[in-house]
Amino acid sequence: MRPFLFSKSSAINQALAKKNGTTQYIAGGTNLVDLMKKHIAEPESLVDITSALPAKIEVTAKGIQIGAMVRNTPLANDAIILAKYPLIAKAVLAGASPQIRNMASTGGNLLQRTRCPYFYDVTTPCNKRKAGSGCSAIPGENRMSAIVGYSDQCIAVHPSDLCVALAALDASVKVQDKSGKTQSIAFTDFHRLPGTTPERDNNLPANALIHSIEINENAFAKNCAYVKVRDRDSYAFALVSVAAALNLKDNQIVEARLASGGVAHKPWRWLEAEQYLKGKTANAATFEAAADIAIKDLRAQSHNGFKIPMLKGAIETALQQCLNR
Amino acid sequence: MGFFDEPFDLMTPPEGRVEGVAKVTGSGKYAAEYKVNGLCHAVLVGSTIAAGTILNINTSNAKQVAGVLGVITHLEKPVVPGMADEEKIKEARFGLPVFHTDKVYFKGQPIALVIAETLEDATYAASLVSAEYREDAKTVDFNGTLGFVSLTPAGKDRGDITALNSAAHSIEAEYNIKAEVHNPMEMHATIAEWTADDKLKLFDKNQGVNNVQRTFAKLFNIPVNHIEVISEFVGGGFGSGLRVWPHALACIMAAKLVKRPVKLMLTRPQMFYSVGYRPASWQKIKLGANADGKFIGIHHQAKNGTSVYENFNEGITRVTRLIYNFDNLKAEAATVPLNLSTPTWMRGPGDCTGDFAIESAIDELSYKLNIDPVALRMKNLALEKNPETGLPWSTNYINECIEKGAQMISWKDRKAAHSQNIEGDWNIGYGMAVGAWNAGRGNASAGIQMQKDGSITVQTAMTDIGTGTGISMQNIAHETTGISKSKIKIELGNSNLPPAPSQGGSNGLSSIGGAVVAAVNALKLKLAEHAALQNEAYKNVAAADILLSDKGISLKTANSQFFISYASLWEKNKLGILEVEASSGPGAERQKYAFCSSAAHFCKVRVNRKTGKVKIERLVTVSDGGKIISEKAAANQMSGAAVGGIGMALMEEQATDERLGTLVGNDFAGYHFPVNADAPIIEVAFINKPDPNINPQGSKGLGEVGIIGTAAAIANAIYNATGKRLRDLPITPDKVLLG
Repeated sequence: MRPFLFSKSSAINQALAKKNGTTQYIAGGTNLVDLMKKHIAEPESLVDITSALPAKIEVTAKGIQIGAMVRNTPLANDAIILAKYPLIAKAVLAGASPQIRNMASTGGNLLQRTRCPYFYDVTTPCNKRKAGSGCSAIPGENRMSAIVGYSDQCIAVHPSDLCVALAALDASVKVQDKSGKTQSIAFTDFHRLPGTTPERDNNLPANALIHSIEINENAFAKNCAYVKVRDRDSYAFALVSVAAALNLKDNQIVEARLASGGVAHKPWRWLEAEQYLKGKTANAATFEAAADIAIKDLRAQSHNGFKIPMLKGAIETALQQCLNR
Repeated sequence: MGFFDEPFDLMTPPEGRVEGVAKVTGSGKYAAEYKVNGLCHAVLVGSTIAAGTILNINTSNAKQVAGVLGVITHLEKPVVPGMADEEKIKEARFGLPVFHTDKVYFKGQPIALVIAETLEDATYAASLVSAEYREDAKTVDFNGTLGFVSLTPAGKDRGDITALNSAAHSIEAEYNIKAEVHNPMEMHATIAEWTADDKLKLFDKNQGVNNVQRTFAKLFNIPVNHIEVISEFVGGGFGSGLRVWPHALACIMAAKLVKRPVKLMLTRPQMFYSVGYRPASWQKIKLGANADGKFIGIHHQAKNGTSVYENFNEGITRVTRLIYNFDNLKAEAATVPLNLSTPTWMRGPGDCTGDFAIESAIDELSYKLNIDPVALRMKNLALEKNPETGLPWSTNYINECIEKGAQMISWKDRKAAHSQNIEGDWNIGYGMAVGAWNAGRGNASAGIQMQKDGSITVQTAMTDIGTGTGISMQNIAHETTGISKSKIKIELGNSNLPPAPSQGGSNGLSSIGGAVVAAVNALKLKLAEHAALQNEAYKNVAAADILLSDKGISLKTANSQFFISYASLWEKNKLGILEVEASSGPGAERQKYAFCSSAAHFCKVRVNRKTGKVKIERLVTVSDGGKIISEKAAANQMSGAAVGGIGMALMEEQATDERLGTLVGNDFAGYHFPVNADAPIIEVAFINKPDPNINPQGSKGLGEVGIIGTAAAIANAIYNATGKRLRDLPITPDKVLLG
């Protein structure tokens, strides 16, 4: 690890004032410390923002606001979350380990970087780590890589579970910049596709910090599920994951949400499948048809063709689980 | 056998470990945890290419970092006498001639070592070392390369395998297993201190202090007793500590260079290419039986990966000769050199690899024959004698393991045909397999120190890598002396203590148990010698006639008036600490009998048809380890091995990238071994019958058989659930889905 200056800020504007090209912020540190140890992140100064950002979950006029510094464990155990937005808790608990969840922050969860093994191995080319150096995963070991939304420069996937649930629930990201101005970014616009700039993971402005996450009230609390298929049953990143939520009237689907992790550079919404589900009867045939729509245009890498049938099965399973109250 | 005949009291929980409190409170010191005055830190720099020659190393940036004390490369180093030239390197048989060559054989091979005041300084400075190379062609692709090496006979043929051609039913299939990495919880570490020019003290993580001592005595050309190796607590080994690895030598070289004690601890990513691994393997089995299920013969071919600088043959076909009667048998093997570090023994080495293929093939054959897999095995087990040597088994209760395991898992609930047991999206299946291991014993020594109050300390150089050696030594000392366990202290893992073999191959307890008994006998005779000065009845008595207790000595054959308290014995003879040492080892029984440990594994799985996910619902492991000396430690061994078997079956895989010549995902995010969520409570049972010939306590080693057969039991259960015969490990969800 390269030596660095360390300071602590107790207010968001104070932290933002310290922002420059060689500064990085540290909250839970569950990803950044790894990146620093591996010389992937080499900040000259590190600003501890654990006391600078909101750490509360608050009910607002429209729904709920989750402070950027709310750690994963209290987020997953929060009474309001469990009652009204249980999909969030399900997704959080499917990720990492209890120790990591105790440390990891909500804001940091959005900003965690891919777990593509080549990104972490500085002896190998990686366009995300070093723009223009090439992608090792495309001709290499790409079992965990993307099956949708990738480019010829990067096939990495976003590793978060929480973000999949937030994307499904149409959350928004409230960011605050140096001038004190806040703006709201739709969650599905927050993360980027790799395109020709895979080194950029998201659209967080350079001089801004995530302040909080906002979710509007919705009718999905009763019928939602998070299914994560992985090589081991805890502390493993998703091969594919599915967040599913249904607003049911009797057995008719009024509205549906379907999003996935482990498939793309960002949490992926299956909008066409959602559209299909609307107005249909909630049953196995409907779910299978929706899953078929989701997978119809996917194109796998050399080693992850399995992800397409696995995704289909995971979507069907997640939708089915929405019915098990 | 008079051992351990006390009835098991259900109200008393089985005992833990003698070192348990020290472990859970943190007072027990692992190698890297010792406080040594003047300690500094060393960090290895690995090559960034997989094959070639180092042309130039730039260490000047590293040397400028504040706190850096020195840098070692092949160009600047204290020369190790045993590696002074090519000839000596060959003779030393150390493996990688670390810092004594400009050749690079695998990516991550140490090319420099940075020593600094703090770990942080050393780590940072190490990141500033760079090198230029001339790259050579390389390969890390086992399956792509194995076709280029030819098989050679692995042992003598039995009969003639052309007999297989007339078999009523036969199976011919190939099996592939990816490389697996031991990954003990404690990373390998060494603290090295030269206490004089030719005297070395090491705190080191390993599985055999005397082996470490011998290795470095040879390399540095100094007497063995000038090297002290301390390994009191070892956080798991699984075979990775059975060799002395380059990092330990590098640490000693660093201590020589900076003339200070140096600590070197491998990082977790370095653990993947520094201390061995189970090599990738390929096997082909041809197995045939007559119509009623009697095996006709087997043709077993196997290849495993090795490094380009050293040959490691895993011995995959050894187990083929052990368990069943094959009148006709042919075994062939080869190793495949790759630009990877040298593999080594990993739990159940060779046998658990070979056994997966054999036990999978037998299962497959059972469906062809329409005979229950349990019945098919029972019909063909070699229960009387070792089919290879012809020697009668001293004991072999593998059939009882199978019977008990079948009963425990309720084997009768299994459907004979596959895919018949379905609940929603889940298919349920049962599978079983057996495993066996040649039960060994080595020469070992133990010492006893006795105090006036009757308390004793039992000592050996043998390590306890978590297997329960310490508690078992205490149990044996208690049973043979009659002294309360609370008055028996155990000291081990130190080369100053009586010598013992390395703890590997399930030989630890089998070896040290006899030494403890011998030391107890020596203690009894020594006490009797002193007692004889007070009472002539003690003159020339046999150890077997001497009784000890917490209070004193007496004679079995005489009445209680011969009792002499330790206090009076000590006072009369002006004794201080009474010390004895004794050795014990295998003898003529090895010419008369064959010895094996065995286990039967039964598994119930659920397989999700939609996602390919396999959930192990039950895993039963019944083993014959002779007399069980310490039930809790033994059960811990078996359940740990079974969990290792789950890893082998379902997820452990060291991926490689052929284009880049590199390991992929060499960390805990990339390399999956099972966690609690992946394993049910492992149901462990023992046959628990003493082997009267192997050693005084009647115990046979257990560490290996817990994993030999586990993966096959799981794969066979997956077949029973789904009809998918998966012959390549690990069976990750993708293989189930596409299989």
